[in-house]
Amino acid sequence: MNDETKKKINERYERELNRGERFWPDSIFKDLVVSLGIFIFLILLATFIGVAPEPKADPADTSYLPRPEWYFLFLFKFLALYGQIPVIGKIEWLATVVIPGVGIAILTLLPLLDKSPYRHYSRRIFALTVMGTVVLDIILLTIMASLPVAPNAAELAASTTLQAIGGLLIPFGVLALLVAIYLFRRNMYYQSTRWNLPIWITVIGSLAMVAMTVDVSARASFYPQPGEAEVATTLVDQIFAGQDLYSIHCVECHGDDGKVEKIEGVEGLEGKVISPINGHDVLYTLNDAALAEVIAYGRPDAGMNPFGKAYNPEGLSKSDIDHIVTFMRYMWDDRFEIPAEALKPLFPPLAEGEVPSYDVHIAPIVKRYCVSCHRAGKENNNYLMTSYEEILTTGDNKDHNLIPGDENGYLLQVIQGHAIPDPKDPSKEMIRTMPPNRALKPNVIDVFVRWIMNGMPRTAEDAAKLFVAPTTEPVTTPTP
Amino acid sequence: MWKKVFDWLDERLGLNDVYKNLLDRPEPKGNWWNTLGSASLFLFILQGATGIFLTVYYTPSPDHAYDSVQYIMEGVSFGWLIRGIHHWGASLMVLIVFIHMLRVFVTASYKYPREMTWLIGIGLLLTTIGMGFTGYLLPWNQRAYWATTVGTQIAGSVPFMGEFILKALRGGPDLSALTLQRFFAAHIWLIPAALAGLMGVHLYLIIRHGESHFPSKED
Repeated sequence: MNDETKKKINERYERELNRGERFWPDSIFKDLVVSLGIFIFLILLATFIGVAPEPKADPADTSYLPRPEWYFLFLFKFLALYGQIPVIGKIEWLATVVIPGVGIAILTLLPLLDKSPYRHYSRRIFALTVMGTVVLDIILLTIMASLPVAPNAAELAASTTLQAIGGLLIPFGVLALLVAIYLFRRNMYYQSTRWNLPIWITVIGSLAMVAMTVDVSARASFYPQPGEAEVATTLVDQIFAGQDLYSIHCVECHGDDGKVEKIEGVEGLEGKVISPINGHDVLYTLNDAALAEVIAYGRPDAGMNPFGKAYNPEGLSKSDIDHIVTFMRYMWDDRFEIPAEALKPLFPPLAEGEVPSYDVHIAPIVKRYCVSCHRAGKENNNYLMTSYEEILTTGDNKDHNLIPGDENGYLLQVIQGHAIPDPKDPSKEMIRTMPPNRALKPNVIDVFVRWIMNGMPRTAEDAAKLFVAPTTEPVTTPTP
Repeated sequence: MWKKVFDWLDERLGLNDVYKNLLDRPEPKGNWWNTLGSASLFLFILQGATGIFLTVYYTPSPDHAYDSVQYIMEGVSFGWLIRGIHHWGASLMVLIVFIHMLRVFVTASYKYPREMTWLIGIGLLLTTIGMGFTGYLLPWNQRAYWATTVGTQIAGSVPFMGEFILKALRGGPDLSALTLQRFFAAHIWLIPAALAGLMGVHLYLIIRHGESHFPSKED
């Protein structure tokens, strides 16, 4: 750039300054308005959306699908699509180092590469079309990366192909064309904007990219949405979560009050003598971290199985184990005081004539007392109880377990202390009384009886329809 | 009385000169897009302030990081607000710095005499992204842990030096207490120091050359 151009630019700037404004108060006023707006916006975001809770990091949980922060998603998607390209897709560092490196280098050295003194957009078509294509691609790749994953292989292949065309092929083609025109037919960039070929290439390419993304998004709207993981954040929720997990994983051996000293009725550990886990011996000598380690890694010499994910991909996560420890502390450690809310009953007490529902009453009871054994992988006559459908339709005796309106269904019989004899050999029991080692409290049995006798409603609304208010005798006031 | 106090201070601090040179500068006709730079500065200060509050309760160790963040969210009064602002402010800062860069690109403000301002600006964009990357690990939750595992793996794919970069970032072959400590140090000392230094130069250059005017057909 020669001195004459520099002088011209400086003179031009002087003229702009003369018909401009003052930094104080004109410009700074706008700055302050925007900053204040941002501040209010952030407070609203923090208050009404907040920060989504996430479970604790668990290095053993290799099944977790990693997702970067949203502003890296485009790179993530770019790498994933790039990896699908035959041959060069295998050369990882081309995509992870060379391409981003070249991009950043061009961006950094831009003032040295772009030596033209012109600033108006009509003389910068090349720079603007290239940047426009790149930015649009960044936005579209971010959108693609935030879509749910396709449910099956065929759909995945179709979706990936469309994404590769829209997010990789077309933008690459457009950029290649723009650069080629710039190198070999540069005067095309200086033609009138209406008949400017590079602009048309960019516009048509962009429309095609957007169309592909819309198509991919439309397909993805039919995919199953990934479920949001529930994370217990408050102490009371953590105690409840720990209690539920304890009832599923620990009750079999340790009993629901942690008092058990000799294991009964558990395959492989029958008769094993263990120390009670609800007393000072355990709770005073082990801190939270040590307790969590015992649960995660087990105590092979003492019969305690490992429950962490390091041993079993289906095992408990770090957060799960922490919740169990929290539950044990607040329930049994006399140095801790359990919050009153955490002592609320398992299910709301029933009024006279009220019909319980699965959602409100049965689900928490089943989770506490039954699921420990009645889930996949346990010996339970194939009777699973983890959902409403399973309770009604699984098991070797599924036609006899729950019979609406019939007190003689197997479930009602066994929870009331009547074992079911084997039809082939009446001296043997086909189904033991349930739960095996202790009887349910009468109010819990009452819930089951009322539920089954009234047709096993699922939701609270269904149950409310069955509610029959007890008819009270009309009160006759004695006449004087 | 106030005049006397002001005159006394002015004699020693040169308040009038500061006003003349910093505040009472002529500028080309303003444009709302030109507020993005100062918005980035505001967000940097806000992130600094909320970040300092967070370090009061945060513990950078794998055993306590997650629980200390939980405590900030549940136990500390208005902890949720401070962390919420810091969390969303980080996203917004990356977004605004990026749009600021695009604005400068579109109006070609990086040209003579503002080439150095652009160069420093790219440094600011990269350090801001570095802040986002290092800060993401600190809550030590599943998302953070696995995103950083993959992120450092990508950095480790550099030919020849990959192994070294990976180990330098993680403080060993795997993510560990050292990684968290390292990322924490980078997040609260190293990168902010670099960011503040670059920002000082960036601001000096802006005052030196003035804000660029919006280009018209003449330019």
